Amino acid sequence: MPATAIQLEQVSKRYRAGRSRTVVDLVASTLDQVRGKGAQVHSAARGTVDANIWALRDVGFEVPEGAGLGVIGRNGAGKTTLLKLISRVTWPTSGKVRVAGRVVSLIELGAGFHPELTGRENVYLGGGLFGLTRREIDRSFDRIVEFAGVERLIDTPMKRYSSGLYARLGFAVAVHSHPDIVLVDEVLAVGDAAFRRRALESLRQLIADGKTVLFISHDMWNVRRLCDQVLWMEEGRVRAYGAAADIAERYMSDVNLQALAHQDTALQSHRGGSGEIRYVRVDLADAGGHPVSLIAPGDALIVRAAYRAGRAVRRPVFQVAIIDVDSGLVVTSASSDPATSPPEIAGEGTFECRFDALPLRARQYVLRLTITDDHLLASYDQVTAGPRFAVSGRGKGVENLADEDEGLVTLPFTFQFPVPADGAS
Amino acid sequence: MTDRVLTDHAERISAAAYWELLVNLTKREVMGRYTQSIFGVGWAIAQPLATMAVFTFVFSRLAKIPSGGAPYPVFAYAALVPWFFFSNSVNSGTLSLITYRNIVTKTYFPREIIPFAQVCSRLLDFASAAALFALLMIYYRMPLGPWALLTPAFFVLLVLFTTGVTLATSAVNVFYRDVNPVVQIGLQLWLYLTPVAYSLSQVSGKYRWLFVLNPLSAIVEGFRSVLVFGRAPDWTLTAISAAMTLALFLCAFLMFKRMDKYFADVI
Repeated sequence: MPATAIQLEQVSKRYRAGRSRTVVDLVASTLDQVRGKGAQVHSAARGTVDANIWALRDVGFEVPEGAGLGVIGRNGAGKTTLLKLISRVTWPTSGKVRVAGRVVSLIELGAGFHPELTGRENVYLGGGLFGLTRREIDRSFDRIVEFAGVERLIDTPMKRYSSGLYARLGFAVAVHSHPDIVLVDEVLAVGDAAFRRRALESLRQLIADGKTVLFISHDMWNVRRLCDQVLWMEEGRVRAYGAAADIAERYMSDVNLQALAHQDTALQSHRGGSGEIRYVRVDLADAGGHPVSLIAPGDALIVRAAYRAGRAVRRPVFQVAIIDVDSGLVVTSASSDPATSPPEIAGEGTFECRFDALPLRARQYVLRLTITDDHLLASYDQVTAGPRFAVSGRGKGVENLADEDEGLVTLPFTFQFPVPADGAS
Repeated sequence: MTDRVLTDHAERISAAAYWELLVNLTKREVMGRYTQSIFGVGWAIAQPLATMAVFTFVFSRLAKIPSGGAPYPVFAYAALVPWFFFSNSVNSGTLSLITYRNIVTKTYFPREIIPFAQVCSRLLDFASAAALFALLMIYYRMPLGPWALLTPAFFVLLVLFTTGVTLATSAVNVFYRDVNPVVQIGLQLWLYLTPVAYSLSQVSGKYRWLFVLNPLSAIVEGFRSVLVFGRAPDWTLTAISAAMTLALFLCAFLMFKRMDKYFADVI
């Protein structure tokens, strides 16, 4: 049983909303405190409002030494406040934050650097902010420079550095400062792919060496690669704490559901096209015809649309495209087969586009709906970012899916070692 | 290595690391101030020198204020050097925690190092201005007496007093930005209520208490006594000043350490 590296007990953190701006406001709120009234912000302009914002409320958890803990949650869930408390940048309003060993926080890379100083001088300045002596920095100086890849620029003032290089040097100093606990706050978003990979690798190495890493990220892929446990924060409280794959999965489907709750299936006003025909309604249904906005990979999806034509239109082509919100177009379908599509439409009508199996990744999608003529020359209607839906969980027929989040679709596959003797299967 | 025991106290950094952080932040401050400046640290001399010239013209030539037998420029300059050390330190020190907001809200380290570094960075100015003082002494052929050995004692008092005031103003300024304008105006008035342009002996008994309660009076008078006049300082005055300086420093430091937990929340 490893020792505990971080322990939070009933931790709450209150911030004051707004600010006492004038002497009058200040006197008023001081009087309230003297009279024993609750804290309120007095503002001549806005009247009296509740002054307390609870960034954290009764948070308690423990992290064992040598663990990688992912911290996830929406913006404003209290993740950064948590890191600031553990790194002693700020202190809890109530409760106890206990930490064992040296903490290095990466809330912003290279925060202590001065642009007028050279890279070399800043390494010593930044290392000093992490509590290192010159001699300790001397010992790891070459590794820091090599890690950041700034050999040529090390004696150049840092104002000449690109922001990526700046971040790299900041990260390099931090991981080489012999921490017991490393706190990382979404800082890997800067820098190029090679640096991100390298940074993740070094965090993984720290964990392997028995150090403790707290990793805030919105990138579930990185969280799952680095951390075996995940802490899910919501509105200042712990929503869940457990195995990374499980919590990350629940978090993603929750985020998707929340996003879907805030939109209806009515068509939004971002319309293109000349308007002879318009979509008037689009709904999504599952294989059984029930309205749906969340499906599993491999599930069927039915798009039901209603349209209205202002005049008779010959051979319109209806297109339904599925777009991954993050990565772009995944698939398009079109009613261009004369055998199944009406030669001419007028007035109101409906159609249904059925995807029997959508092997999509667990992400969020929107539909792009268009109506064109059969030569794809005239555009009658175009609705981008139409109805949304989300894919979540493990689907049927794709159980052997590798635990990878890259790519657009999930497809069944098998591996066999070695190639079978008869060559063909 | 560190002892890995769960604790709810802030991590203590080693004395060596503390010292080096102070040196590095001081360096950062000095470099930031003087890089891309042609005259560089020369500006540190220009300020007391120019003021000395004006004071000599206004107070000595026009107002005929006596300087106790010493050449007035030396008389004034001996007090202006410690004065500017004090006033410049407090001036930039008051804003220092806000200037360094970026690291205060992002990393933990003992916060008092920031105002300390502000005061330390003015030591360079002090040293260069003091070098010019030595040249003035040579120019006016004024020998140093044995009392000059007391100079370090007044220097320590000056640094302690300056640091105490800077700690207090910088901490309170985090919460109330009104402190800065108050400090700006206060420093201007303070210069004239401190025996810099004139000597304390000219102050009549009725107002003397005001100068006794101002620890800087004894400090600048002390520098002047032991260096310019080569005589013993006013012991009573110095003792009162030393006691007040010590008390102020301790109070300011304790107050600072009580407040510093909340800097990152409001800065």
